[in-house]
Amino acid sequence: MKGRLKRLNWGYLGSLTVSVLLAFAIGAVILLIAGFDPLEAYGAMVQGAFSNARHIGDFLEYAMVLCLCGLACVLGSRVGIFNVGGEGQLLLGAIAACQVGVWLTGLSAWIVIPAAALAAMAVGGIYALIPGWLKVKVKVNEVITTIMLNTVAASLCQYLAKGPWKNPNKNMVAATAQLDPRYWFGTVIPNSSLSTAIFAAAVITFLTWYVMQKTARGFEMRLTGHNPRFAFFSGIKTDRLVIACMVISGAMCGLVGMFRVYGAEHLYRSSISNQYYFEGLTVAMIAGYQPVTVIFLSFFFAILKIGAQGMELSAGVPNQIYLIIQTVIIFFMAAESGIFASLRAGAQRRKARADIRRKEGADHA
Amino acid sequence: MDDIAVRFEHVSMAFPGVLANDDVTLDIRRGEVFALVGENGAGKSTLMNVLYGINTPTDGKVFIKGREMTAFHPRAAISMGVGMVHQHFMLVPSFTVAQNIVLSQEPRRGRVFFASAAARRKTRELVERYGLEVDPDLPVEELSVGLQQRVEILKTLYRGAEILILDEPTAVLTPQETDELFAVIRRVVREQGMTVIIITHKLYEVMAISDRVGVMRKGRLVGVKDTSQVDERMLSSMMVGRPVLYDSLEKTGVPGEELIRVEDLSVRDSRGLPAVKGLSLSVRAGEILGIATIEGNGQSELIEAITGMRRAESGRVILRGRDATGLDPGAIRAIGLAHVPEDRLATGVSREDTIRDNLLTGRHREARFNRFGFHQRVSTIERYAAELYEKFDIRGAGTDALAGELSGGNMQKVVIAREFSFDAPVLIVAQPTRGVDVGAIEFIHSQIIARRNQGCAILLCSADLDEVFRLSDRIVTIYEGRITGEFTGPFSKEEIGWYMTGSRREKEAVQ
Repeated sequence: MKGRLKRLNWGYLGSLTVSVLLAFAIGAVILLIAGFDPLEAYGAMVQGAFSNARHIGDFLEYAMVLCLCGLACVLGSRVGIFNVGGEGQLLLGAIAACQVGVWLTGLSAWIVIPAAALAAMAVGGIYALIPGWLKVKVKVNEVITTIMLNTVAASLCQYLAKGPWKNPNKNMVAATAQLDPRYWFGTVIPNSSLSTAIFAAAVITFLTWYVMQKTARGFEMRLTGHNPRFAFFSGIKTDRLVIACMVISGAMCGLVGMFRVYGAEHLYRSSISNQYYFEGLTVAMIAGYQPVTVIFLSFFFAILKIGAQGMELSAGVPNQIYLIIQTVIIFFMAAESGIFASLRAGAQRRKARADIRRKEGADHA
Repeated sequence: MDDIAVRFEHVSMAFPGVLANDDVTLDIRRGEVFALVGENGAGKSTLMNVLYGINTPTDGKVFIKGREMTAFHPRAAISMGVGMVHQHFMLVPSFTVAQNIVLSQEPRRGRVFFASAAARRKTRELVERYGLEVDPDLPVEELSVGLQQRVEILKTLYRGAEILILDEPTAVLTPQETDELFAVIRRVVREQGMTVIIITHKLYEVMAISDRVGVMRKGRLVGVKDTSQVDERMLSSMMVGRPVLYDSLEKTGVPGEELIRVEDLSVRDSRGLPAVKGLSLSVRAGEILGIATIEGNGQSELIEAITGMRRAESGRVILRGRDATGLDPGAIRAIGLAHVPEDRLATGVSREDTIRDNLLTGRHREARFNRFGFHQRVSTIERYAAELYEKFDIRGAGTDALAGELSGGNMQKVVIAREFSFDAPVLIVAQPTRGVDVGAIEFIHSQIIARRNQGCAILLCSADLDEVFRLSDRIVTIYEGRITGEFTGPFSKEEIGWYMTGSRREKEAVQ
């Protein structure tokens, strides 16, 4: 197992490195065309992420969001179901957790925070149960249902934040009431978004990795994802497993929403998530759905994103350069398997031909 | 040169990682029936695919009637008079016989419109000229497999084939249909001077039909002989590269209590059509019940219903005295059933997982493989998998390799190793040696018999009738979802062949 893992990882790491370097090179060309000095811009990017504690806190918080969302996606893909609906589950989890906090104002934080977390997970989980159940029982494509349910969730949250649960402060257009400060998560780095939620996130990350990689249940999940018919044939209750993973994936997304509310925003508004789940999903895809890789890449992309915002402020370079780099990496990583496969096949063909010639040479001699 | 239909000169064919044909030089004479035999993966089909223009050889030359093949493309091969009937027919089910035969070279009216009358006329001419009786106006889907094969042969003749390649033509035929096919082959060879190349691994067929025989092993042509100068034993040693001992399998013990009981079972297939129609059977401990049938007569659905892979419409399945109807495969396995599925790629293995994981599956919840009941003990699992790997002589790149990287025969050994390791008293075995090498077949057969002698109840289903005859204590024939006959040894191939095609009722009607 070790030998094989090593072989695989080197190939993957190699193509990831090449993809990242190519992405930065292409980004540099675009920067040049747009009239910026690429070295200066990239320097500003690094500065933007690391220059002060606040930025470091921001990128750590963003890495946490990417990592949890990415792992939620991996959890589904492990059993062969693609949860594209994390965004909606996240938003619903956020607004539910927030409203629980508002309703229970006055009670101890020891009651409110667990209640809010449970509410977020329940709402996210139930919202994921719908497409999961439809997929298993009536074979409805989960990609389509989850994408559509995203829109439903976003609209519902928008309605709630503008209507029944609207912030009493008239200046806030689409936001719910703010949480009592004693329910807020403690800050880890002052003035940054980083809260103590990151410790909970670390525990969740570890558990997710552990279950998927080290346990008999994780083994069943892998079989189910690779060949559901074989898994069913072998006696695994695949239907139940797929639904359970989808629900847990949704619950994780809901919890991310709760972390955003209780850790950073302290009320529900649209900046709770700016398509963060999709960014996490992207990370999961680039990571080849490998949990450890998801963790590392989450930090990488968080640094890029926060750095790009800093770069915009200090060097005046539009932060969309981040999107360009990310997209190019995805492009190359997607093409990677095809390119490498054809290179390998070519090498094998040449080798086989050389073998024939050598043999013929020996025969003649 | 004139009497040479096909000449291969130093032909080599390399695929990534394999040398499928290694310096093959071979002449096939005009007007002969040439049998090409060898184990799976010996390179027979590869070589014939070169001749039919599907493969471009890595090295060497091919001559057809003295002309060198320059372009390797089926169209080029067809124009040079080569026709090939593949193992899996390439016919349009809803088209009529005539439409299928003229497909790709249709007679036209005014260059645009399909001339259907002309197509039928030409088909009828062909049918008469070659004496291959078949109704041009029937849709192909209504024909038996034997007749479909006949349509395939007519199709190649329509395109002007003089050299006919038949890839494992008898694999899907009943004994009677095989006899008919051989009669057809003899006729086209004798009367039309055709050259027929037949790929097979059934040696008695080689003896029955061919003039000469070429044996391939590991990509090389290891010998070409006149059929009259060889026997089956000689050919099988040439194929395997060592003497093959066909031990008579020793069966011991007497049947015990009934372990499998199927009562009045009805099952629908995936299209929702009735596939099993009120079928009942019973298998006792220490007994092998063989199912003799032609594919598509409900045996797959029957097995899937017994093992929980498919829901039964009505009726009951009782395993070891317990009602197993409608349970899922996990619950049925818990009663004590193991199952070698007919389609190992789709059902029998997970190709993207390691051989180790494939061997472990089903036992992965056992306490010895898990610390605290959930944390996998990697080294114990590895020891267990390595032991099975060794015992079942699986040949691959080790237990770490992906199951999908194994050859078909070795993949089957993984399936057998896992399912037989459960020590289940009820075994359902479907197509145990499909695509498996001669050497491995002996081994798998001896394993099945060993389980029988230990007192397992075994239900065996195989498209290879010889296998059913060799292993079974009792045989039932199934035709269109119903049992048409039941036999205890000694079995008569002829008689069982009749019952397999549902002819019993016709015979009774005559009487």
